[in-house]
Amino acid sequence: MKKLRVLLADDHIVMRSGLRALLDRQPNLEVVGECENGRETVELAGSLQPDVVVMDVGMPGLNGIEATKTIVDRHSSPAVVILSMHADESYVMRALKAGARGYLLKDSAAADLIGAIQAVSQGKSFFSPKVSRILAEDYVRVLKQKGDVDTYDLLTSREREILQLLAEGKANKEVATALNISPYTVETHRSHILQKLNLHTPAELVLYAVRKGIIS
Amino acid sequence: MLTEHPWQRLVNGEAADCTEQRDNNDEETVGQGDQLMIEKKSETLIVSKALSRNRLGSRGALFGGFGALLVLMAIICLDSLRTLGAFATYDTQVRQELLYRERTLEQIRAGLYESSNIARDYILIKSDPQAQEILRIELQSIQNETTTALKACIQTLPLSKREPFQRLALELEHYWTTIGPILALSPKEKNLGNDVLRGDVLSRNAEIIAITREVSAVNDNELKDADRRIAEVLAQFRYRLLMVATIAFSFGLILAGTTIIYAVRLEKRAQEKYYESLEAERELKELSKRLVEAEERERRAISRELHDEVGQSLNALLLDVENLVQMSSGDEAFRQGLQKVKTLAENCVNEVRNMALLLRPSMLDDLGLVAALDWQGREVSKRTGMVVDTVEENVSDNLPEDHKTCVYRIVQEALNNCSKHSYAKKVWVVVSQEPHHLRVSIEDDGKGFDPSRVCGLGLIGMNERVSQLGGVLQVDSDPARGTLLRVDLPLPSTSTPSRELSS
Repeated sequence: MKKLRVLLADDHIVMRSGLRALLDRQPNLEVVGECENGRETVELAGSLQPDVVVMDVGMPGLNGIEATKTIVDRHSSPAVVILSMHADESYVMRALKAGARGYLLKDSAAADLIGAIQAVSQGKSFFSPKVSRILAEDYVRVLKQKGDVDTYDLLTSREREILQLLAEGKANKEVATALNISPYTVETHRSHILQKLNLHTPAELVLYAVRKGIIS
Repeated sequence: MLTEHPWQRLVNGEAADCTEQRDNNDEETVGQGDQLMIEKKSETLIVSKALSRNRLGSRGALFGGFGALLVLMAIICLDSLRTLGAFATYDTQVRQELLYRERTLEQIRAGLYESSNIARDYILIKSDPQAQEILRIELQSIQNETTTALKACIQTLPLSKREPFQRLALELEHYWTTIGPILALSPKEKNLGNDVLRGDVLSRNAEIIAITREVSAVNDNELKDADRRIAEVLAQFRYRLLMVATIAFSFGLILAGTTIIYAVRLEKRAQEKYYESLEAERELKELSKRLVEAEERERRAISRELHDEVGQSLNALLLDVENLVQMSSGDEAFRQGLQKVKTLAENCVNEVRNMALLLRPSMLDDLGLVAALDWQGREVSKRTGMVVDTVEENVSDNLPEDHKTCVYRIVQEALNNCSKHSYAKKVWVVVSQEPHHLRVSIEDDGKGFDPSRVCGLGLIGMNERVSQLGGVLQVDSDPARGTLLRVDLPLPSTSTPSRELSS
């Protein structure tokens, strides 16, 4: 079986070596490179063609989120897992908007990193359980405070199914195949979902799914 | 989840506490500097004391001068009045004396004339003893009157002037002794009497008239003398008056000059003081600005240090511990020990992250104002249960650093006030960017307050921050109505609003 090629990006050398020690013990993973700033990461992501980039947010020069944006915009780009100290939705939102698939808290890296790398390499999303929990709590609290209706109740069961698949990172075509319907129908469902939930971008859709606990 | 932590109070702007702490530190570390300051202070105190003494002296001199001038003028007035009064009295006295003398002389002349008439009548009258007796009595009375009048007049004269009058008295006495016997003549002897009358009496009569003329002339001279003397004294008086007036005038002139110089100097000093106070005010403003900047810089540095160094190291530690756990073979006690270390490190990471966020949220630097404000709203809402609704309209990601920090800190302080004092259920935070302005409003539905009476440290601090950027802060509140805080910050022309980044 082909090993997953991983690129590590963190400006903190102790952190980097810790991550490396963790990954090196995994038989199906291979760390192909380490970088300590955003620019270097962008370069190595291009030249080394890794499957997954594990990216720290706060790095000198170009920060992790900007670097993710640059990397993801390229053709045949690797999946990016963001490593962050913040569980706040503003960071999660930025990371998702930039194109990251996974969002991992550093203090739970040891427990979740392997799972996250595997999930994103298969095109799925991954969030630290703590992040999902906080986002969900915030969502519920805001709903309660504002006394708003939970828009999730407005969705049909088919729409909920499609929402989950889309949020997991599947493309329209994959969803169509999985549900045995036409991609055109998927697109129609998708626009209905976005309209009902008052969402505008794929990133917002993923964030919503995390908040609702549909994906983790 | 953020917990109440000592750091939080510092961040939430309980400036009084931290200032106090800082003061204490200063006292310990800058003891020597304090000593110097005290010396300097006492020096200035001495100088200012000397200055004030000097000022007191010149003020006293001015008061004295004005007092002296007034006294001098009063003396001149009194002296003039007194002198003029004395003149008037002297003049009247002299004239009255001369008039009295002249009248006496006149009386004597009249007496002489009358007595010679009586003598003539006596000679002409034929023997009529009764008529003769009447004439005799008449003559006697004239003689008495004139003698008494002359004597009285002489009595009033000073010794030096008595001589001609005494001569007159002597001559008059001779005259009476000459005329007296005529009236004692018998009718037979009357022819003889006629001779006597024509001879002795008339000659004596002429003599006396001459003397009275002489005396009159002397009187006239004396009158002229008196007039001359009065004129002289008057001239002297005028001269004296002129002298004294000149002195008073010069003195007044000097005094006026001194006063003007003094006033000008005072005015100049006041002006200097005014400029000094303006300068001091400016320096104070500058100092407070630098203080705010330094505080912000320091917070950011500590926050970064905590976040990037301490936090990252702890995360690395966590990783290493996890690696150790995975590598360790069967020893359960060892694994449990490692698990403890891991839990401890996890707690530390949380603690450090919270500290760093409270000091200065990394979102402000990493993601911009919008993300930081949203985060702040969520945190306050989570901590207090108050609904915080944040809306950002067209707020650019590349706002100037100072503006970003200013808005963030103001919202932070306002939310802190709301949660502490207002009992609000909901707060609306709106930040909107216009081409040349950044407007912030924070409105709550709490119990409000009277802005004219309450002006806490928080409001002062906010005002300070806003005015440093040339903006305006308005507090609109009433008890039992909520509070609306509005800030209008002018923007430098470089930063442009961008729509896509609003959340």
